[in-house]
Amino acid sequence: MAFPLPRGVTASEIAFLAEMETVTIVPRQRLEGLELLGGPVEPLVPPRRASLPLWLALLLKRQRRANIMPPAWLHPEPLSLILEVESGHQDYKNAFSPPPPLPGQPSVLDRGQEPTARPQYTPDGNRYYAAPPFLPQNTAQPVNSSRDPPSLPFHWVEVGNMLLDAASDDLVDPDQIRRLLKDLREVRMAKLRSGVEVLDAAATGGGGVALTGVGSMELGEERGFVTGVVDGLRKIGSSKEQARREQMAEQRANGGYDGTQDDDEEEDYMEF
Amino acid sequence: MDIDDILASVDRGPGASRESAALDHQLLTRFWVAERAVSEVLPWPAPLMERMMDRVRMQIETIEDLAASSGDTDLQKTTNTHNPNLNLRLSILQTDLARTQYIIRSLLRARLAKITKYSMHYLVHLASRNKNPLSQTQSTNISSQNPNQQPEDSVPDISSSDDLTPLSEPEAAFLHSHQTLLAGHYAGSFMGAFPRQLRRLDDNAGGTSMIQGPELREVVFVRCLGVEVPVVVGGEEDGGDFGVTMRMGDVWVVRWEGVKAAWGKGEVELL
Repeated sequence: MAFPLPRGVTASEIAFLAEMETVTIVPRQRLEGLELLGGPVEPLVPPRRASLPLWLALLLKRQRRANIMPPAWLHPEPLSLILEVESGHQDYKNAFSPPPPLPGQPSVLDRGQEPTARPQYTPDGNRYYAAPPFLPQNTAQPVNSSRDPPSLPFHWVEVGNMLLDAASDDLVDPDQIRRLLKDLREVRMAKLRSGVEVLDAAATGGGGVALTGVGSMELGEERGFVTGVVDGLRKIGSSKEQARREQMAEQRANGGYDGTQDDDEEEDYMEF
Repeated sequence: MDIDDILASVDRGPGASRESAALDHQLLTRFWVAERAVSEVLPWPAPLMERMMDRVRMQIETIEDLAASSGDTDLQKTTNTHNPNLNLRLSILQTDLARTQYIIRSLLRARLAKITKYSMHYLVHLASRNKNPLSQTQSTNISSQNPNQQPEDSVPDISSSDDLTPLSEPEAAFLHSHQTLLAGHYAGSFMGAFPRQLRRLDDNAGGTSMIQGPELREVVFVRCLGVEVPVVVGGEEDGGDFGVTMRMGDVWVVRWEGVKAAWGKGEVELL
């Protein structure tokens, strides 16, 4: 068998991806710049801060060659604020707290503004939009303005746990942080599980279920279950969908298609 | 970046500049996650993979040079030229190399697993697109009249094909020889004993095709990167059936067939 792993990245692969997140470190020794396959690494000159991929920061930390600056969100205050929003706020009863905005996306505070996607171009001329783990969401100072409310980055579970494991002496009150992370995880897992009923929407043709704000590891944990349920529902409903499609094709052929057919389907989904 | 950097990047060949190293790494990582997330084989990104393989080759040379120089200094015990950070640099470079090689290996193995699983589907797919319709009907006529019908005869010949999308050249060659071996094995072990008309591997008698393809209606997890991306299903026959609209930054569980076109344009990312 060429490849034994199931479809979709597994938990250890998600942790591997999370190690590509950029963190801020304070080096304890000099090191000249390196040309890595993952991109260039700036020269380390203590006590100047530097931004490195997490795997490299952990490697240096384990050899006591650097200290890791905790990410802006990995402090007791922002975490307890997020926990409060997640567990108590009326708007987020069935939804996750909003994720950090992508570049070009307005922050949660300016809801009215239109987002403007800012693509880069690949050497092959395609558009490329940066996304986690390649956004500076775990640096000591977030790039987006400081007035933004704190938010959990995509790889929060993994980054949080890795830093608690390897660099707990660099964190502020690690026990409190560990407790808050655990609480947050439980609150969010409960939301994810209670949302199972809306999965039916994802089984219909153009429908879907929004999981905005979900973390990578949470997604990985639910992947098998969600895809299994949705595929099962799709198989059950496939004859119905086929009939609906035929009916629509017929209507279109008669020129009487007015688009009302899939209205119920579009309203079927629920943000959670 | 000054003129020396630009000259240096030109010297090292196309696509070897520092910015493109980081960008290519991100593209490779994203492609790997996507390949792991869907059940079909995604189009082979030949230019990207060529650049990555070149870089891996160069990095191995760099590491070997460094390791050789550290060996020399140990041997000669020349303390003044010894660099205390050399071992650290070596271990960082090797870790980085191992991480990239892991992604490439995992990507290729995931593709091979899909190719072997749906081998007939991809062979028929490649052959039907590349052959002109006349010769194909001729070949089916001949094979159905052939009294010594063997399972191997139902393996389409793709040696003359020049458009191998979504596979790379070695993958297509592997696919063909794999299926030929498999058909030969089936013939030797049990299919040779079957009646002649039951020996084809691409039998579709009774309206049921024996060829199994990847399920494109399976759901995937995506993040919307464009401003607004609609989910479109059933695009081929009736011009598209628009479903929900995803907004920038949203994460959705949707059907793969509904976002495949948007993925091709880079407007959604598979998670």
